[in-house]
Amino acid sequence: MELGLRNVPSGAGLGALTRNSKFSQQYATHGERLKQTHAEQLSTQLSVFQAALLEFSRTHAKDIRSNPAFRAEFARMCTAIGVDPLASSSNKKGSFWAEMLGTSVNDFYFELAVRVVEVCRRTREENGGLIAVAEVKDRIQKQDEKIGGTGTSDVSEDDILRAVESLKPLGSGFTVFELGRRQMIRSVPKELNTDQSTVMEAIQVLGFVTHSMLRANLGWDRARVQTVIDDLLSDSLVWVDAQAEEKEYWAPMFIGNANK
Amino acid sequence: MSSIFGNNILGNNATLVGSSSSTAPSIFPPLYDFPPFFTRYPNASTWTAQRAAWSSLILAYCKAHKLWQLHLSDALETELFHNAALGRRLKHQDAVEVLEFMAKEGQVDWIDESNKTGVNVWWKKPEEWGSVIFDWIDSTGQKGSVLTLYEIAHGDLTTAQEFHGMEEGMLKKALGVLVKRGSAQIFGSGEEMGVKFF
Repeated sequence: MELGLRNVPSGAGLGALTRNSKFSQQYATHGERLKQTHAEQLSTQLSVFQAALLEFSRTHAKDIRSNPAFRAEFARMCTAIGVDPLASSSNKKGSFWAEMLGTSVNDFYFELAVRVVEVCRRTREENGGLIAVAEVKDRIQKQDEKIGGTGTSDVSEDDILRAVESLKPLGSGFTVFELGRRQMIRSVPKELNTDQSTVMEAIQVLGFVTHSMLRANLGWDRARVQTVIDDLLSDSLVWVDAQAEEKEYWAPMFIGNANK
Repeated sequence: MSSIFGNNILGNNATLVGSSSSTAPSIFPPLYDFPPFFTRYPNASTWTAQRAAWSSLILAYCKAHKLWQLHLSDALETELFHNAALGRRLKHQDAVEVLEFMAKEGQVDWIDESNKTGVNVWWKKPEEWGSVIFDWIDSTGQKGSVLTLYEIAHGDLTTAQEFHGMEEGMLKKALGVLVKRGSAQIFGSGEEMGVKFF
């Protein structure tokens, strides 16, 4: 045993062990220092970024509120750099974003969200809780015209979609979905089944459907067509025109937007 | 979807037909161009919404055209209930149901309760008309003077007033409100009926 120890080349014994640990300590310290430097740089960059944003928001808050095109661009920019202007607005501290923009953007979307909810609620008896985003936009604009509003009357569909999105944390049950080529807001917790969606899409394309149109074009039998139509009727998703040669089924959610 | 329905019976995309009314397009709601608006909805909750839409249209239409009364059989032939462009009309019995609802709301009252052939239309309530008339009397310094009903409704002095042309029975009802308030007194009868304002 003793012989063995003596034969160990110097530098590879216990001393080496301590020396190694000294190295690794140095590495660690160096790493720490690098990390710290990075953090400092990052925080400098962040504060520069924040300052720039603050400056930007101060200069443009008005535009953000009043100009829908500008607002959409701004929101797109936020998405591009990975910031959601509405994300943390529900926590009490108030979001970084709210501080930056003096809550004007948040307020804008929440106020709009309230109006979207009102439109959906008011028209629910008529349309069964499904309404086209374009229709919501039209109705909100008409309200503004009625009260002679000048202020925030310019609302885009993009704004409405974001406003609905901002309701999500509240568990509002408002969802956006695509029906054919239209974006719809659903304010009732009901899902359309496949047959119902098919019929609604057909109405969107054709304006209305009849029993025989559905049977001829989809190859459905009488009972299947009857079931779908009855369900849609009882949910107020379609209205019936009994004064045509054959009963026609129209969707109130597409009123005023037939050509869009 | 369009491929399935590409060659449908219609041959092209059906669209909602625009309102035929060029005179006062703002009166008619988008629903007016929606054919099913003219068919009573089969379930109650949606019919309630549909009925409310009809009531507001009727009030707006009468106000815009200064119609004091609707006689159902005539009115059903006008653009109010008949969308000629669509070839759709509200049925008599559905119109009666709408008017019954409006009567409950105080927006109309039946000229003949038993036969229900027509209504007075109150796009302003009798109380409001009373105030409008009284304001006019007040602002033109006619307190204390006596006017005949004819002068109020058809006189030269009132041509610019909103109540000009008001149907006689309705005018009496509006003035009745002022009598109750103690700001008018009605005397005489028939042609001679006059009213004094305080």
